[in-house]
Order: sequence, then structure tokens, then C-alpha cells
Amino acid sequence: MSGFTDRAEAALADPILKIAVERTAGTAEAKRGIAIDAFPDFEAARSRAAAIKDHVIAHLGAYLEQFEANAIAAGAKVHWARTADEACAIVIAICKAEGAKSVARSKSMLGEEIGLPHALAEAGIGRVETDLAEHIIQLADERPSHIIWPAMHKTRDQVSALFKAKHRSPHQEETIAAMAESARRELRTQMLNADVGMSGANFLIADSGAVCTVTNEGNAELSLVPPRVHIVTAGIEKIVPSMPHAIHMLRMLARSATGAALTQYTTFYTGPKRAGDRDGPDAMHIVLVDNGRTKMREEGLAEMLRCIRCGACMNHCVVFRQIGGHAYGGTYPGPMGAVLTPVLDGLAPNRDLIHACTLNGKCQEVCPVRIPLPTLLKGWRDKSWREGLEPTSMRAGLGLWAWIATRPSLYRPVTTIAMRVMRLLGKKGWIASLPLAGGWTRHRDMPRPAAQTFMTQYKKARRP
Amino acid sequence: MSARDAILARLKGPSPDQAEADALLVAPERPAVNEATLEAEFLARLALPSVNASHDVVGSMADLPTAIARYLAGQGEALTLCLPPDPRLTACDWGGFTLHDSAAPDEAAVLAIARRGIAETGSLIFETGPTAPMLPNFLALHHIVLLAVRDIAPHLENAPLTGPQPRAHYWVTGVSGTTDIEGAYVRGAHGPRFLHVILLRN
Repeated sequence: MSGFTDRAEAALADPILKIAVERTAGTAEAKRGIAIDAFPDFEAARSRAAAIKDHVIAHLGAYLEQFEANAIAAGAKVHWARTADEACAIVIAICKAEGAKSVARSKSMLGEEIGLPHALAEAGIGRVETDLAEHIIQLADERPSHIIWPAMHKTRDQVSALFKAKHRSPHQEETIAAMAESARRELRTQMLNADVGMSGANFLIADSGAVCTVTNEGNAELSLVPPRVHIVTAGIEKIVPSMPHAIHMLRMLARSATGAALTQYTTFYTGPKRAGDRDGPDAMHIVLVDNGRTKMREEGLAEMLRCIRCGACMNHCVVFRQIGGHAYGGTYPGPMGAVLTPVLDGLAPNRDLIHACTLNGKCQEVCPVRIPLPTLLKGWRDKSWREGLEPTSMRAGLGLWAWIATRPSLYRPVTTIAMRVMRLLGKKGWIASLPLAGGWTRHRDMPRPAAQTFMTQYKKARRP
Repeated sequence: MSARDAILARLKGPSPDQAEADALLVAPERPAVNEATLEAEFLARLALPSVNASHDVVGSMADLPTAIARYLAGQGEALTLCLPPDPRLTACDWGGFTLHDSAAPDEAAVLAIARRGIAETGSLIFETGPTAPMLPNFLALHHIVLLAVRDIAPHLENAPLTGPQPRAHYWVTGVSGTTDIEGAYVRGAHGPRFLHVILLRN
């Protein structure tokens, strides 16, 4: 049994997880729906957002060079990394050169993707996650289970126990407000005293060299203004041509993620502290990370580079809402994660993950940049088949079926016999256990087939 | 080959056509704003639960200290204020206040001037500079913002400055909030718990 299947089974057996996931994802779905209904022509806005991203992806090299030149002109240092290891090595080298002992980090999925928390730990550099959910995850030594609500799988009781065990001055009342206040007390001094502030980027603005971050907590600003160094790690696909282009994407991002018109705090950082500025870092470093993105562009996954990490696809996914994020195994959960994980972690170990989709198309319907996620998943399935990664039993079974199905004179009697056998196994319209298809009937019943095949019924109906 | 050259070599292609990039922005879909009633539209967005800001109105800068004293008294706070070194603010009569220009980690209240207000979202637009530090606006419990009515603009596209950018250009659209524990909304996650806007008519 593979890792994904094991994890999914464990998740399905966890009743608390199901409630936690449903509560957050269901609320997000409802709020998004209200926001989209109130927005004038969201469908046209989705098409525009997709067109902006496609334009950038078509000219990605030129826009990256433009961004680099403008960021350098603003005083930032720009670094390039082909792989996750290269990116981490650059970040660690900057931290060591600055003599940094502590890092305050604002939530960044790219940072998770390249393994930055692990790299910092290996280098002996203290890390404090400042997003409340990431702080919870760090204390619990777990991975995020959602890209917007990383701790959605945690109950208030679990959070309370964590804070009481790890905070210096924990909450006394068992309320969520008191727990949040405990985290506020705990994190504030650490943010103010950190040597380095780290962030990702929601957007990189080519014509100004600015880096845009969005948060509702304001933790990005509190993490990035006091330290003497700001390090940004950003995927190369985060580029937009100008701030007006970013504004359109921001309208799409907030509504798709949380149903808000805009996040509470949206900041564009252009270089380090200027002469006369009363706060801000002395140095700003921007690490532009490829880590498979150029390959995606070359090998039929360019549409996936449109992704703005809003999480709408997972909030609306029937599979995600049953199993939550950890079962997916990779950095990114849900439909977008099922497409990205084989890029980042390889197809062979994720062969069963790409099948964990009903292809109902809901993710594509809600995607603010119109990523054809079901089509991309089918592409992975096709590749898995062509590369011989599917199990022998499945290949043999499908081969046998194809051989019979292309011979109607054989197919019809075989299906007639199979139906009669299956009807014998069924009671009250359902089959509870089916030989050779235990995987299907282990968790649900199969409908008992009709008394006659379609062709038999069709022929009968045609008779005068 | 450097990482930079290796990445860019794989991304070779035609330079982007500026007209093509501009065409992507023609008539953007966005919430409608009635420009004849900008102030009312802005205040309506400001009062939405998602922004959750209170407001007051003053006729001139001379009335500003009184308005702030009124707000702080209503919140049960002392007349202590972190005031940025902006000459428009330091010129006011702050008698009765205890002022300082650097925010303490547990700062109660800060005053800042917004360069613009955006009616589409109820956002307040700020830029850093020698008289406009950024950190106090994220440290204080009460974020008090002065905004001239004439600086209210309809859409987010009106927010950016043209030309060279400041070190940080930031939009504030509410208070520091979180729904990270069981989806319950909590104000003041890390930064301000209260946002109070004082509109300046003159």
C-alpha cells in the first residue's frame, strides 16, 4: 500500500479532522460565493487574470530581467537559484555573512517548498514563524495542511495545550481570543529582536522592482521592518508587469481565498531603507527560484504557472474536504498540489495521488486564473501510463478490457454474463462485497446492475 | 554557467510588447464607485465588518488634537500618542498629551497621515519616508489615521505614486485579524486591534 493511500485512509478515519476541514473550507466556500456574486462580471475578470499570467509566462525571461534591473536600482541584491538546494544555500550564506542568529519568517509556501525551515535548523539559525497558524504548526512540529489556513486541522483544545506547554506567559482563559493574545505576547518580542526577516512574495512588480506581500495579521510587516536584513524567496512565476496588473490579481486573490475585497495589509517593498528613513532593513535580498518552473513551462504545465496560491481549488474539492491536506504528502495539498507534487517530488512516488480526483471540474470552475486542473491531472495519468508506472494488475485488466471491448460479438455476451453474476451478489439494490474489486466495496457499496444490458434494452426499444 | 544564465537561457523569447501589456488593463472589472459621493462610499466601506473602522470628522488641523483626545477617552486610554515627525502634525497644539516619536513594543496609540483613501475598498494608503515611519502603524493597539477628504479616490488604481517608488508603499484595509484557530475571527492578532479614521474636511 502506498504512502498516499495510507495517509488518506488514516485521514478518513479521523472524525475530528473531517469536522475541522469542513468548518474552514465550507466557510471559505460560502464567503467566496458571496464575494463573487457581488463582483461585476467575475468570469470576465478570471479571463483577464489568466491572460495577464499567460502574457507574463510567454515573456518570463524578459520580465525577470526587467524586475532584476529595477530591484538592483532600488538597492536590493538579486540572486538566482535553479533548485531548492541552491536557494537554501543562498539564504543560509546571507544569514551567515550577516552574523544572523535569529530569523522572523512570514508565511511563504515557496519557503516550505524549498525546505527553508529545515535548512535554517541545520545551519543552527533560530526561526520564529510569525503567522499565527504557522506558529501553531511550528510548535507542533508539523507541516501546513492548507496554503491559506495551515493549522486548519488543529482544534482549539490542541492549540491551547500547545501554547500552555510552549509559551512563556500563556493564556489563562480557555477562549480563542485569549490564545491569540498569548501568541501576540510571545511573538512580538521575537519579531522585534530578529536579525533577519524572511518572506515570500505574492507578486514581483517588473517595472519597479517591488515585492508585494499580503497578510491579514500584519505579521509580514512586523517581521520585515525591524530586522536589519530582509530576505525574499520567490518563485520566478510571481512576476507581473506593473502595479495595475498586480491590482487586478489582488482583487482576484482576496476574493478567491477568503471572500474579502482585499487583505487587511498589502505592502510593496522596493529596496532597503533609504537615506532619512526612520525604519526598515539595511539590506534587502531577493532570491528568484526556479525549482522546476522552467521545466513546467517547457513540458506542458505552463498553465500551472498561473497559480496565485489562493486555495480556492482545495476549498471546493470533494476529495480535499474528506481527507484534508496532510494526506497529500507534498508541500501543496488539494488539486493544485496534486498537479505540482509530481513536479517537485517525482511522478513515481505520487502515482496514486494523481488518481485521487473525481474529475468533477469544480476546482477549474472556481480557479481565478482558469487553470485547467482536471486536464493537467489527466496529463499526469497519461504520462504515468506511458512510463509504465501503473501496477501490472491494472495494466493487465485494462488491456483485457480493451481487447474484449473492441470485439462486440465477444463483449456483449461477456457483459451479459458478468451482469448476471453481479446481480446474484447484490441485495436490495446494492453489492456490499465484490470479488476482484475489494478496493471499491471496502468503503462503499456498488449499485446492483440492471437486469439487462444497455444493448439488450436498446434493441427491445427499437422493435416495433 | 551561472544559475541566472541557466534560468534565463531556458526562458528566451520575444520581448514583451508594451501595448500588449497595456491592453490587458483596458476597462478592468472592479466594483462600481459613484465619484459624486466618494466620501459616503468610502465611509460605507470603512464601516463594513471586514474593515471594522470607526471614524470622526474635523474641520481643520486645529481640531485634530481634540478629536484624538475624544477618541482615546472613549477607549479608556491615556492621552499618550506616538506621533511621527511630520510637520503638519507637530505644528498642532498637543497640550495635555504625552507625545513621543518612536513606538514602544506595547504602544497604545499611533497617529499617521494617509496619503490617500480608496472608496472601492475603504483602504488607507501610506508611504514610508523620513517623516513617515512604518513600524509604529503595526505596533500600536489603536491605529489612528488622518485623511483629507480631498485625498479620497475611487479605485485601487489611484493608489500608486507615479515615478520613483518609496521604500514601502502599503495599504491598510482594517485591523490585524486572524481566523487561524477554528475559523473564529479575532482582532489584534499581531498589530492594531482598532482603526480610527479622522476625516479632514478643510
